[in-house]
Amino acid sequence: MRTDLLTILVPVLPLVGAIILASLRRKLSANVAGGLATALIASSFVASVVLFMGFEASTGGRTVHMLDWISVGGMDIPLALRIDALSLTMMLIVTGIGSLIHLYSIGYMHEDERAPTFFAQLNLFSFAMLMLVMGSNFLITFIGWEGVGLCSYLLIGFWYKTPEYNYAARKAFVMNRIGDVGMVLAMVLLFERFGTLEYASIMDMATGGMNDPLMIAATLFLFIGATGKSAQLPLFTWLPDAMAGPTPVSALIHAATMVTAGIFLIVRSSVLFESAPFTKDIILWIGTATALIAASIGLFQNDIKKVLAYSTVSQLGYMFVALGMGAYSAAMFHVTTHAFFKALLFLGAGSVIHALGGEQDIRRMGGLKGSIKITFITFFVGTIAISGLPLMSGFFSKDLIMAYGFQHSPVLFGLLLFGALLTTFYMFRLLFLVFYGTYRGKAHPHESPLTMTIPLMVLAVLSVIGGLLNLPHLFGGHEPMKHFLETAADAIRYEHLGLSATTEWTLMGITTVLVFTTIAMAYGRFAKRATLEGAEADMPFLKRLIAQRWRLDELYAALFERPYGWISAHLFTTVERHVMVPVMNGVGAAALAMGGVVRKLQTGNTSFHLLAMLCGMIVFLLITLMSN
Amino acid sequence: MIVALLLLIPFITALALMFLRPTQQAKNVALISTLASLGVVLFAWSAYTGGTVIHYNMDWVPSWGLRFVMGYDGVGLLMLILTAMVFPFIIAAGYGEKLQHPSLVNALLLFTQTFLFGVFLAQNTLLFYIFYELSLIPVFFFLLYWGGEHRRAITVKFFIYTLLGGLSLLFGIIYCLGQGEGFNGDFATIGSLNIPTSVQIWLFWVLFLAFAIKLPIFPFHSWQPDTYAMAPLQGTMVLGAVMLKMGLYGIIKIVLPIVPQGVVHWQETVILLALIGAIYGGIIAFRQSDLKRLIAFSSLSHVGLLCAGLFAWNSYGVSGSLYQAFAHALLVVCMLYISGAMKERVGSSEMGAMGGLKVRTPRLAALFLLVLANAVALPLTQSFVGEWLMFAGLWQVNGGLALAAVSTIVLGAIYMLFAYQRVMLGPDKWALEMTDATTRDHFVLVPLIAITLFLGVYPGPILELVDVPVQQLLSSLSLN
Repeated sequence: MRTDLLTILVPVLPLVGAIILASLRRKLSANVAGGLATALIASSFVASVVLFMGFEASTGGRTVHMLDWISVGGMDIPLALRIDALSLTMMLIVTGIGSLIHLYSIGYMHEDERAPTFFAQLNLFSFAMLMLVMGSNFLITFIGWEGVGLCSYLLIGFWYKTPEYNYAARKAFVMNRIGDVGMVLAMVLLFERFGTLEYASIMDMATGGMNDPLMIAATLFLFIGATGKSAQLPLFTWLPDAMAGPTPVSALIHAATMVTAGIFLIVRSSVLFESAPFTKDIILWIGTATALIAASIGLFQNDIKKVLAYSTVSQLGYMFVALGMGAYSAAMFHVTTHAFFKALLFLGAGSVIHALGGEQDIRRMGGLKGSIKITFITFFVGTIAISGLPLMSGFFSKDLIMAYGFQHSPVLFGLLLFGALLTTFYMFRLLFLVFYGTYRGKAHPHESPLTMTIPLMVLAVLSVIGGLLNLPHLFGGHEPMKHFLETAADAIRYEHLGLSATTEWTLMGITTVLVFTTIAMAYGRFAKRATLEGAEADMPFLKRLIAQRWRLDELYAALFERPYGWISAHLFTTVERHVMVPVMNGVGAAALAMGGVVRKLQTGNTSFHLLAMLCGMIVFLLITLMSN
Repeated sequence: MIVALLLLIPFITALALMFLRPTQQAKNVALISTLASLGVVLFAWSAYTGGTVIHYNMDWVPSWGLRFVMGYDGVGLLMLILTAMVFPFIIAAGYGEKLQHPSLVNALLLFTQTFLFGVFLAQNTLLFYIFYELSLIPVFFFLLYWGGEHRRAITVKFFIYTLLGGLSLLFGIIYCLGQGEGFNGDFATIGSLNIPTSVQIWLFWVLFLAFAIKLPIFPFHSWQPDTYAMAPLQGTMVLGAVMLKMGLYGIIKIVLPIVPQGVVHWQETVILLALIGAIYGGIIAFRQSDLKRLIAFSSLSHVGLLCAGLFAWNSYGVSGSLYQAFAHALLVVCMLYISGAMKERVGSSEMGAMGGLKVRTPRLAALFLLVLANAVALPLTQSFVGEWLMFAGLWQVNGGLALAAVSTIVLGAIYMLFAYQRVMLGPDKWALEMTDATTRDHFVLVPLIAITLFLGVYPGPILELVDVPVQQLLSSLSLN
């Protein structure tokens, strides 16, 4: 009973915070609002930790029923939360990293007059994200799924006076909604098949047949949903634009938590995906393509946040590659370490932007390592973590995915390795251009306040030691995270990495040598730069194409956006005005012309007829009612 | 007693307003009357235990065997609740309107409410028809005298359209009355009708046409956008929130029971037309520059979905459609109220003339946003429950149709967010002072939004109301 209450409190606390802050947003100061919001999400974190400590993995999990939600006909969908290894893992990430980012935001947003609104929305996001990961059935997850979409929309467009930001916010919401069509269809289909949407029941029932067409359809629909939320091809172009939001938002929503929802969803329904190898192959290749395309774009971006955004898309691609190979725990491991180092990198970028009074263009940075030391050191840690330098958290998680990749096919390993080297290159390019060389801007850099640097330091530590969470046998560990998660998802029990120790060491050695070579290359090219290469127009064709983000935005605008606007306008001016209305008027007129009785109505006696009818009715009604 | 009160409260108040003309107090009187009706309906709801409650059952036209039967079942009660619940807000919305002769305006609105109650209380097809047509009359006058530009032409067109549909319905009912002894027009005796399938196939359209126009579904909708845009705010609210629900109710109470085979025969055609309308309206709404006309097309889109869900004729589809009918009523009132509130402030409902208003009216922007969440059917709002059930219902009919239906969630997001941006977001370009949400704005929007959210989290009370009648309806016809 006590744990049930605690479970319910985890999402409810930030919801309460959101409601209080939204209603008092004009009365509270930025610091009070930030303090309250942080305290509530931190309480959720404490509650999650207590739940985690008291959780016995061997029991599998339990469900906390809150309310009957939709029950009609044969459908009975409760508002219920599920506590198991998977939801606990995600709860700890969401509330833990969430608390740090809330704390950071107190410093980052203290001068914004709408800071209380910001914290209300950040708390609302936390609530929605917690519903997403804690839901005991697909439809509860969908509550969170749409809720985080709404909060993402609100926070991307937080500075609503700038039309481009509003556009970016709408773009994010609409592209997510396209994915949601898949998600809704998947739920409808699964409900039709199983008569329930409870994860636990579906997991028990879904066994047997391989490549059952229905399961392929359901898993493909789920994956379409995942591509929207987790920014995979072809629906990833909203994420870089989403950088219009305040930087803590980019860290929390667009790096550490919301964008991993698609991965979570697939792990949650891993049983279904295990019976649909066809879908898994598609996931594998979409993930690989996204990882490489996004990484290539990252090479040429000059906005500090855009580099990180493409990096996020690329890293999410790695997670999908893992899912496609059935390495669910590897995907979750990378979700976790990525949450640490990408949140760190974004918050570090925010600290840089803060230090430079809003500057985001790395061409006007440089040489900052002396003036903002803490930011530099922590950003450095983040960079080596994401690049997978030995013993960093990213080393273990990415290496695991690449080892599975080698087991799948050496070609895949080659592609993943290439992507990893691109990652190293653009991350060190960023590091060198921002912190090394000489300063190319005009601001007076100053270190950020403690509320901002403390989260950086905590995340830096986590980015270093995060690998311990799932330390492989090769390094004397027992993959604790895998064994924890397999109590929630049977599919994880059957994951098997069958490479010999020698092979693994060799792969690791090759990767490490190449990573260091890449760093050296990046150092040579960027560490001492005083100026940066010229305009895109001077670049050779391929380079220019990549720098222009493969022109995907332009392609989508030409294929979908503009035609849709054109159709919308012409459907009205042409079809509705010149076809529907005249034709239906004609039909009506013809019918009238034929009816002698009706014709009288047109002669102006309408009101008389109607009034007569009305009076008759009144009299009749009164008589009837009184006679009763 | 309940039936008599529901008909008499608005009717007598309306008569009083019409003859006494208390100009100053007209709105207050009307508001009290609608609140009293709401009280009666809520009492009826609390006392309702299931089944069909018949309050009056007496001879009407003995020579034809017609009887005067009034009462309600769960579906009827839902419609009564819906009607009673939105009317106080429609009256309240009038406080912001500067219409001539407020006593007459409110009298007409209350007449409309009387006849709408009559429609949902009638347990006899002919009685239903009479109330159905009567409800048109006060609205006709309201639009004709208080409408905007081109009101004569548009009102007459609207009137002729609905009247044509009505005549078709009347013909159908009379035809049925001529079919043998068992059927005397009462809903309860429809089961004894035994119309050959070949007849049902054409009779379906005779009966359905009235409701297809009233809803309206594609391609019978061409009266709707102009009428919605031209009508005075409260007129559009009545049309969009309540009157079109008569169409839905009529399909359930008359079309389905009388011509079940016809319904089955035309099921996919109707769903297809309805969904074409849903997509057509959703696409057109995106580029509309007038907020009220945008709402008209968005309503066309929502109603298309409602009709499609209903024609799934399984328990999810029908329950979802009814639930959504309720949600849609509240949504339309909210949306139109916001368009009115913006028009009050900037003098026009053209979105080109708006933009950047969030700076001046942050509270209204926040309320708009909450309404928007319901409009795009985010989970935990009322609309989501209805849409989800309808999607589940449509999937059982045909996967392709379900896909088309679900795709409207994208269209809705596109036009609603664009509308919100054009009205509220962007740089502040207003030099003049502007009042943020007033007490009246809060009085209308906050309770409606609260109901919307409450029923989104806890839809049980409404779903319970329709669950059993819908199951009975479907099993009695053994469509599934």
